[in-house]
Amino acid sequence: MKRLLAVTLGILTAFGGFVDIGDLVANAVVGSRFGMSLAWVVIVGIVGICVFAEMSGRIAAVSQRPVFDLVRERMGPRAGLVNLGASFFINVLTLAAEIGGSALALELVTGINYLLWVPPVALVAWLVMWRVKFETMERVFGLAGLALVVFIVALWQLGPDWGELTTQLVRPPQDEGVPTYLYYAIALLGGAMTPYEVFFFSSGGVEEKWTRKDLVTARANVFVGFPLGGVLSLAIAACAATVFMPVEAEPGSLGQMVLPVAEGLGKVGLGVVILGVFAATFGATLETALSSGYSLSQYFGWQWGKYVVPGRAARFHVTVLASVIVATALILTTIDPIKVTEYSLVFSAAALPLTYLPVLMIANDPDYMGAKVNGRFSNVLGSFYMVLLLVVALAAIPLMIATKAGQ
Amino acid sequence: MNEHARVLHARLHLLDRQVVRESDDRLLCKVDDLEVRPGDRPYVTAILSGPLALGPRLGGLPGWLMTETDRLFRGEARPGPYRIDMSLVTDVGSAVRVAGHPQDLALERWLTRNVVGRIPGAAGTPEQDAPESTAQDVPENTAGDASEKTLRVREREEDRPDTMRLGGLLGRTVRGPSGEVAGDTADVRLVQDGPLLAEVRQAFRLAGLLIARRRAGRLFGYERGPGLWRPSLLGALVRRMHGEIRYAEWDQIESLDDDEVRLGVAWDRLRSTADL
Repeated sequence: MKRLLAVTLGILTAFGGFVDIGDLVANAVVGSRFGMSLAWVVIVGIVGICVFAEMSGRIAAVSQRPVFDLVRERMGPRAGLVNLGASFFINVLTLAAEIGGSALALELVTGINYLLWVPPVALVAWLVMWRVKFETMERVFGLAGLALVVFIVALWQLGPDWGELTTQLVRPPQDEGVPTYLYYAIALLGGAMTPYEVFFFSSGGVEEKWTRKDLVTARANVFVGFPLGGVLSLAIAACAATVFMPVEAEPGSLGQMVLPVAEGLGKVGLGVVILGVFAATFGATLETALSSGYSLSQYFGWQWGKYVVPGRAARFHVTVLASVIVATALILTTIDPIKVTEYSLVFSAAALPLTYLPVLMIANDPDYMGAKVNGRFSNVLGSFYMVLLLVVALAAIPLMIATKAGQ
Repeated sequence: MNEHARVLHARLHLLDRQVVRESDDRLLCKVDDLEVRPGDRPYVTAILSGPLALGPRLGGLPGWLMTETDRLFRGEARPGPYRIDMSLVTDVGSAVRVAGHPQDLALERWLTRNVVGRIPGAAGTPEQDAPESTAQDVPENTAGDASEKTLRVREREEDRPDTMRLGGLLGRTVRGPSGEVAGDTADVRLVQDGPLLAEVRQAFRLAGLLIARRRAGRLFGYERGPGLWRPSLLGALVRRMHGEIRYAEWDQIESLDDDEVRLGVAWDRLRSTADL
């Protein structure tokens, strides 16, 4: 019974913690411009993150080695350093976007300009990472993120033309060019498969001292929690497709992205969705900030993690603090958080294979995994995604330049 | 050779792995490089870590920056890298576990004392600054020193006398007896049948080099038997990149001068890795 509760709680946490500012922005923008015609990418992305996270979670449970240990060990110091540079850069960019997102949510509630909210949000986030236990931290914000389920309810209330939404699935709008379509496909994939999610998931497994016995929990989180999060992503896109597409508007701010909920459910809905957005972005602030500490520490072999007191992981905590400061400074330059998000998504997609390949290799290495190596099914899927991610990585930056970032 | 001696590939199984202190599971450092005592039967004497070990392996501008920054903050005239004697190693698995009380690296101690320890709620006590590594001296090589076939390697002045670094053996051009390029060193095969380090532990002896026909960097573990070429697509790709991989026993190597490896026998007479 206790075990069942733990598994359920884990699933709910994964569900609520799945959506972050990247998924919110990508799905709302894509929904308004392309309707549901890119829904297949979300599904490809969800299956991809499941394959990726399951392998890294299994490795963490069996060998206690988190993802960036694997990167350094299998790719060596040079390729590992390139990966570290890219991942760290994307991480800080995403962190900045998440801090901005939380501040924007607070602006929606209070009417006070988000820039004034940025420093307190960053400070509180750092305090949470400094003092609060890992499990408590993950649970509270994961569960609060469940408020975003209101997007599904709102979609129901909006009473969209379901037939129309279904036709959109296979028919992209005629007025958008193919490169733009592909560019947004990559952004959506980047939103579903962000490298920090895997750093955080596997390091979290080590923080919670997973062993072989916890493989069930790990798999339940991945195979139930993540797809439920994906349904949420699709609901966000469908809401945007229903409200914005007919009037040819593109939501350019967080306030506009939550409008469909207000339209469907009124003030109460709006309150709930803002709470959800805040929980999701604040939770992701913690995840990205910790991930920057995880990746740097794991590359250099430093003691990391919240399972020891801060004074016993000095370099790790200094890294986390420094990335929070840099990200806060970046957002305070009044750079648009939504734009930062869009760029970080595409860079994420470009950097993904660097992290994916060593995980795929080690998940097949019996020296590490013993009998828990990948089965045939995992390897067929794993190889498919290897090819896909390589193609996406090569195409991402050229497409970004060719389409002037989707304009 | 002892039939049951453990066999490792240095780059695959040892280099870049996490070092964990056995007494309290503390993560100490990475195996940034290995210290080797050369001679007829060279063997691994210590794990090297920190910027002064990682920097030279990285090479280029990042490596140079790393080593020079570290030197700047070190008081000693010729600072050496952080060193853990191989006699302390108790297990080589997904991490390398070490016994005893090797202390944290200098940066961690400094930050604990001066930054993190000063923030309320850190609740960590900095470790005592013990005198530099108390590890005993490396035992003298016992076997085969008489013939004095010196395998000289470019030595770093900060290294201990009569030692070399294993990282320097990787990625070297290999030439056959007549000077033609045969390939590239891809890994070093270690066999645990060297001299006794602790009462029961033998040292890892450098048994030979794995040589890839084409210069393509790491083997990622795909040099091992066909049963391990999974997923098959990735395995096939990596093996194609490297061309044929062969194994040169240590006594098939003529010299290690000038950052190259000169073989004493022709490529065709080397063993194929499938026989290993």
